[in-house]
Amino acid sequence: MPATTQTQKSLPLKALAANLPAPSAKACCQTGGGVGAGAEAPVIALAGAPNTGKSTLFNALTGAKVTMGNWPGTTVEVSRGVWRTTKDSATCGCEDCDCDPEEQRLEMTLIDLPGAYSLDPHSPDEALTRELLIGGPSDERPDLTIVACDASRLVNSLYLVAQLRERGTRLVVALTMLDVAEKRGITISPALLARALGCPVVGIDPRRRTGLDRLARTVRAVLGQPLLKPRPVPATDDSLELDDDRFTWIATAVEAGTSASGAPAATLSDRVDRWVTAPVLGPLIFLGLMWAVFQITTTVAAPLQDLLDGLFSGPVTDGATWLLTQLGLDGSWIQGLVVNGLIAGVGMLLTFVPLMTLMFVLLALLEDSGYLARAAVVTDRLMRRIGLPGRAFLPLIVGYGCNVPAISGTRILPNARHRILTALLVPFTSCTARLTVFVMMGAIFFGPFAGTAVFGMYVTSIVIIVLVGLLLRGTLWKGEPIEPLVIDLPAYQRPTLRLTASVTWVRLKGFLQTASGIIVATVAAVWLLQSIPVHAGESFGEVPVQDSVYGVGAQALTPVFAPAGFGSWQSTSTLVVGFVAKEAVISSWAQTYAVAEPDDNSQPGDLGAAVLQTFTESSGGHPIPAALAFMVFLMAYTPCVATLAAQWREIGARWTLFGIGLQLATAWLLAVVVFQVGRLFW
Amino acid sequence: MDLAAAPLHTELTLLASDAPESSRQRLSSLGLRVGSRFSLLQKTAGGGRVVLVGGSRIALGSQLLGHLRAEAVK
Repeated sequence: MPATTQTQKSLPLKALAANLPAPSAKACCQTGGGVGAGAEAPVIALAGAPNTGKSTLFNALTGAKVTMGNWPGTTVEVSRGVWRTTKDSATCGCEDCDCDPEEQRLEMTLIDLPGAYSLDPHSPDEALTRELLIGGPSDERPDLTIVACDASRLVNSLYLVAQLRERGTRLVVALTMLDVAEKRGITISPALLARALGCPVVGIDPRRRTGLDRLARTVRAVLGQPLLKPRPVPATDDSLELDDDRFTWIATAVEAGTSASGAPAATLSDRVDRWVTAPVLGPLIFLGLMWAVFQITTTVAAPLQDLLDGLFSGPVTDGATWLLTQLGLDGSWIQGLVVNGLIAGVGMLLTFVPLMTLMFVLLALLEDSGYLARAAVVTDRLMRRIGLPGRAFLPLIVGYGCNVPAISGTRILPNARHRILTALLVPFTSCTARLTVFVMMGAIFFGPFAGTAVFGMYVTSIVIIVLVGLLLRGTLWKGEPIEPLVIDLPAYQRPTLRLTASVTWVRLKGFLQTASGIIVATVAAVWLLQSIPVHAGESFGEVPVQDSVYGVGAQALTPVFAPAGFGSWQSTSTLVVGFVAKEAVISSWAQTYAVAEPDDNSQPGDLGAAVLQTFTESSGGHPIPAALAFMVFLMAYTPCVATLAAQWREIGARWTLFGIGLQLATAWLLAVVVFQVGRLFW
Repeated sequence: MDLAAAPLHTELTLLASDAPESSRQRLSSLGLRVGSRFSLLQKTAGGGRVVLVGGSRIALGSQLLGHLRAEAVK
């Protein structure tokens, strides 16, 4: 199902809908009183306070897969999808124009907006929501707005409804979290609430996909009605007086539409929070959870990795070699590219798919459960020490999955200087692409302690963030005020299989797309550079890699890394490749060592033993501190070009270039310190 | 009393707020405004509090507690 995501700051909603690539639509299926898909289709905005299930609803209605999570700030970009309905159903499964005209199929453009508590923005993502909902002329606004409201905390959710009701827009309230409200003894009558609010109210459960047909029928009905009459408000500019009026209106509506059985009892969330946000225990639980995530990831994935490794280095390589031999290409440069380049490089990378899948599943479980908002509370004090509000923790933790969305995620912060500082710190969060290298290094150098070594790198990542944050807070960010922490704690939810699988697949697909795009291109470029000789008398594709353009170029850089213990051309060259994308580090290594074995160049060889030997030689017999220094450097220097592009977009060229210098200086300095101190002990 | 000194699990009314404007607006849109009733559920790591207001659980940082004055509902 087509869906697109775009950063958009100025275009009104309908222009945005028109500017984004048009979803595929079948003209013969366009029904519904002449309203068709594409530019003429009704535009439906999906708004609401953060964490009310908007993105889950969007995905359920459009079949798209945008990021979902149970923490504030999941949606920081605008997503658009096609919502295909019939007169009775929220989803039309017609694929080949076989719709019965009686079904009255109607396609609508659905826009998922960033969460906003109100139309008074406190951050760029909220400002974007306001701009798209009410910023442009009336004919460029959405035809209808669905406001997702959390039934378990109606008062807060209805503030946005109150403001929109003052503007006479077509409105439908979608009540989510009814099960949570029920557990809290709150019973809601959608009909009575609708009468009090003056707009339709539909109870739904987007996670389990119930109530969606009723929502579709309501939306279709309201689209055919005139605009709502605006709710009268006091003629004043005093925001306090207007707030009073809105909350009085909300209180009246809530009283009319809900009934509570007795005093609110402590919920399961309250009981869990007593432990996980507690002063001493909370931080310990946070650290324990993070340790468990990385321990489970590395230990459970190991046998699957071995299996895949055996598959690629065995049958796949043998099969490709046999096939090329049959084609008369045995020993040719094509065999070198296919076997030593693509199969060795991409194959090695693909062995990490089980590991990354596990990591993404565990992070999705933490997100969907609602724990991440608690983690922001637990880390608030630490964040303030480095000059940032507690909410900045959320983009930083996203960075441990991938730095690119984390940079976009800085938009949830109201203060521009805090956004820049956070965007400069995000690259120091160790993304999953770096995890693949750490796991491999851990297995080579630390044996049974590989999981602990990997966890140690994540702790080191936090330490680096703190140190760099302190440095910047004491210099360029000196005296910068920090807003106090105010964060909504969503109710804990039992993660659903569908949501966890969906989030995991979206992220894994992103990884695989990178692997099939940048990685293949990088593998080809590395192979090409490794095939070009620099000395006369050697021919293309038959040159020892250290005498190739690749090897000689890397040798020019090795003195820079000699003080850090990994001043070898093999290690240096892979760091240069890693500047493009960390996913390419292992593949370039695999290529280097496969090419570097002239006796049996049809096999990738024992990569681990080759890397160990290289580090032993370059460190003068201290491979472990050299490996640690290499891992620290890998963690701290520029993550990838995609992250740089995201930084460029969010904080501009000047700060991006400053960030590159900061990362390289930090990485080199720490690597040298780690090696020079480490060699005294190992 | 300010919220740092307010008892847990007791219904309170917010009497006054001299929090920074941006925080005041944020609290207001979350339902914590002068005159609203709420209770404190627990202390958090970092010295903050979890506030129960209008069915929502909101974590407040310790820096904010001194800016919010409340009294117990009689």
